[in-house]
Amino acid sequence: MKASFSNPIQFIQQHQISRRNMLSSIPALVGLFSSGCSRDTFIPPTIRTGLIGVADVLTMSANRFLLSDQPLAREYELSDIAPEFPTWGQTDPQDEEYQQLRSRGFRGWSLPVKGLVRRPTDFTLEQLKQMPARTQITAHVCEQGWSAIGQWTGVPLVQVLNAAGGIKPTARYVMLDTVDGWYEGIDLFEVMHPQTILAYSLNGQALPIGNGAPLRLRVERQCGYKNLKFLKSIQVVDSMASFGRGTGGINSDWGFHWFGGV
Amino acid sequence: MTLKSSFGRRQWRASHPLNVRISHWVNVIAGTYLLVSGLHIFLDFPELYWGHTGYRGYPAIFKLEDWGLSWDEAGSLGNRMWGRNYHFTFAWVFLINGLIYVGWNLRTGHLQQQLWLNRDELRLDNLHRDLRQQVRWTLPRQTTTTEYGTLQKLSYLMLIFVFVPLMVLTGLAQSPGFTAAWPWLLDIFGGRQSARTLHSVGTILFIVFVILHILEVIRAGATNRIRSMFTGHLLISSSTSDIRRGGEMSSADT
Repeated sequence: MKASFSNPIQFIQQHQISRRNMLSSIPALVGLFSSGCSRDTFIPPTIRTGLIGVADVLTMSANRFLLSDQPLAREYELSDIAPEFPTWGQTDPQDEEYQQLRSRGFRGWSLPVKGLVRRPTDFTLEQLKQMPARTQITAHVCEQGWSAIGQWTGVPLVQVLNAAGGIKPTARYVMLDTVDGWYEGIDLFEVMHPQTILAYSLNGQALPIGNGAPLRLRVERQCGYKNLKFLKSIQVVDSMASFGRGTGGINSDWGFHWFGGV
Repeated sequence: MTLKSSFGRRQWRASHPLNVRISHWVNVIAGTYLLVSGLHIFLDFPELYWGHTGYRGYPAIFKLEDWGLSWDEAGSLGNRMWGRNYHFTFAWVFLINGLIYVGWNLRTGHLQQQLWLNRDELRLDNLHRDLRQQVRWTLPRQTTTTEYGTLQKLSYLMLIFVFVPLMVLTGLAQSPGFTAAWPWLLDIFGGRQSARTLHSVGTILFIVFVILHILEVIRAGATNRIRSMFTGHLLISSSTSDIRRGGEMSSADT
């Protein structure tokens, strides 16, 4: 197990994501530091200039150091679930194709998984729902300051990547994009985490439109702006330079930090 | 009768070591940025809640709206992207600066010498007298000593060892990344939103501290005190180093 932590690619390919296995491994700091993934785990893909860039690196490094044994984010009780899970930002994309799919109850919708995977595949919603699912009651933490607890059900991202034949050894990031033109990249450290799921259900119901139907990302150890709604496609990449302004996400293109852990 | 005439001497005395002076002014810069950037972040979501949950529409314990500034007006004043970038940057500056200050001055003994309270100072009647003089604004002008008063020492100790750690922890308790690593952060403050509320209350305490600190500096002789934070030397009116404030010395300014 220890070796797997030092090599997320191998980890993801090996498909070992049980919590018990996680806990039994000793924090693999030495492994993380000595392996090829160390830079991506501790340092953002692009470093901003000046003191802000230094702080970005310190924040990400400190957080990832403390997360090196991949703990789960806090999971809550059913009674903690927010009475009305808020919606924020985009709540109904006015994309023509999206609206057509929506009117058909998302029949015919599919998620292309492409890039550095062995078998690029389009997965229908039904296929994703047939994969091993995970249900988690977690807090959505918006970088604005609000937070709300909800119960999400979805398929771990690792499962989806494996269903596409697994990732190639040169893979470094997973870039997701949405029907309303958002794009965010997450690194393999976050991809391999068991709570990183593509959710199709909120509080036991089909994911509401306002919360990103039919499929959204849950990346529980990062702020709301990394938890993309209205997913359109997934691309495994070795560089995010070609997306937008090249910082690895639309929010970091605007000037927020790329690492959404704080 | 003034001390100057009774002793007839004014001389320079070493007050703050260089590392203390540098860390003080770094703190002034970092503290200013933290305050302003924190206000920017708050203004973009100007409500406070208690517990784990809080969002617009959820029962709030504080709404800026109730104080005359609407959500949109507050939002137009606050820029959370700028605020977040500078808040986290200067949090690191503040933290690293503070750790160097505490580590260095514990090692040299300067911190213990200046801030540790002895048994006499902790006696209730002494604390009571110090408090009474503070409230009545009758403390001596401190032109005679480089030593700190009892309440002054207590304030600095509370600031360094209680307030700052609590501000750091209530800050970290709002972060999804750090609470995943340290879930006890959520438990000790009773939830993420409670931590945010306490962090905001702490901001007000910080403003109160800064105001009192500036008032005390003015009372103790602004020019002399501020100059000493640059030069490290305080102009004092006595050749005897062991004269303490209070008691008979309180006639110094009368």
